Amino acid sequence: MGLRNFTYLFYGFSAAWLVLAAYVGILAVRERKIKRDLKVLQRMIEDRERE
Amino acid sequence: MIFLTGLAAVLLGRNLYVMLLRLPDEAMQGPIYRIIFFHVPSAWTAFTGFFAAMVASIIFLAKKDLRFDALAVSVTEVGLAFGAANLITGMIWGRIIWGIWWTWDPRLTSMLICWLLYLGYLMLRRAVEEPIERAKLSAVLSIFAFADVPVVFFSIKWWRTQHPQPVVWAGGSMDLAMWNMLFLNWVPLLLLGVVLVAVRMRQEEAERELAALRRRAHAL
Amino acid sequence: MAFVRHILVVAWKDLHLELRTKEVINASLSFALVILLLFSFAFDPTAEQTREISGGLLWLVFAFAGTLIVNRSFSRELSNDCLDALIVSPVSGAALFLGKCLGNVTLLLAVELISLPVFGAFYNVPWTRQFCPLFLVLGLASWGLAIIGTMFSALTANLKLRELMLPVLVYPLMIPGLMAAIQLTTPLVAGQPLSGDLLGWLKLLVGFDVIFTALALALVETILVG
Repeated sequence: MGLRNFTYLFYGFSAAWLVLAAYVGILAVRERKIKRDLKVLQRMIEDRERE
Repeated sequence: MIFLTGLAAVLLGRNLYVMLLRLPDEAMQGPIYRIIFFHVPSAWTAFTGFFAAMVASIIFLAKKDLRFDALAVSVTEVGLAFGAANLITGMIWGRIIWGIWWTWDPRLTSMLICWLLYLGYLMLRRAVEEPIERAKLSAVLSIFAFADVPVVFFSIKWWRTQHPQPVVWAGGSMDLAMWNMLFLNWVPLLLLGVVLVAVRMRQEEAERELAALRRRAHAL
Repeated sequence: MAFVRHILVVAWKDLHLELRTKEVINASLSFALVILLLFSFAFDPTAEQTREISGGLLWLVFAFAGTLIVNRSFSRELSNDCLDALIVSPVSGAALFLGKCLGNVTLLLAVELISLPVFGAFYNVPWTRQFCPLFLVLGLASWGLAIIGTMFSALTANLKLRELMLPVLVYPLMIPGLMAAIQLTTPLVAGQPLSGDLLGWLKLLVGFDVIFTALALALVETILVG
């Protein structure tokens, strides 16, 4: 019983951390999108200012 | 921020050691009960977040400073993440102890309802484009939502005392060492929460800069 | 008192409009009756089962019908800038809000009072025995529904996907009030008097109404005017 329950405990712990990792993942995706948009916009502004 | 993350990691490491090797097994449940040390502090962190969201919302309505709106959405999102962790660990715990994935345990049920409430908050924000209007409407919802939280918990607990069901955490008195561990594990989770909120707030600021840049680019 | 008069005027305006077009009351009444009927077909409950589910069934139906009613509350003022005119008028935001609430409660109570005899007939339930306490519960719970529903109707009036957002936001908030209503209605509809345990639920319902009425009145100007 002991060892089996430790396996389940491991699942439980991992579940908690997976949820938090998923949220960090969401933040990372958003960060990448922001950086990409920033680059595009800055290039657009430079192009327009040059004209 | 790195410091805080590092500190959280160290605390967690220490806690895990104590949790797994030092603390004794609980009489009825065996080793699995240790899930509680993440299950309960996640809930505490979530509600700290929701409370902070309400405060930030009130200050926003008073001062109309968009930074408080950024704070409100950040703490709400982080609160939702920890709330989800609480729900999922609760379900796993229930599955192992009782053999069922879900039970109308008063705390789990109330947490689910509050989680849906704040999910609604995020949905509302998606539906409004204009930043000040969005901030205003979400602030009102945040205040209503937090006012509802205690009522939800109270009413569901009462409902469940009339039809008792398996309880995920069989209350009663706990060994002092376990109580301490609960609080001790809350600290690293809170620290992590603060770090995530800071990251999220920076993203909000970046998005606002983006919006300004976008306006400028289209004006040229 | 001008405040009370304003409330009554706004309520009367909404009710008058509704009585002429009957769009909302037709929709919510048909919806309520159809669901009650369908349930009877789908589940064919025994007398014992009916007694257990009566509160839940009735209040689910009333909650959905109520959403239909409050949804139109502020959105009907959007065309021709009527909402702006109302906000600029000497009627205070609180009076406007309470007036609309009153109108919505009246409509909801009408739907409920028509649904009850139908329910009683199809499910064989002695709902008239405790009519006064039942009416009290109907009134209190409908008020709670109306307050939250009207508030969020004002909040979501300008949004795209308004029809979706309103239920999504309102139902979780409503749950304590709905639960109290369900716990109270089930025994009352079966003819049992209010006693002991049930009085606790009644107190919860009253507390719920008080908290959310106060909160709504405090925040309504923010929503309407900004």
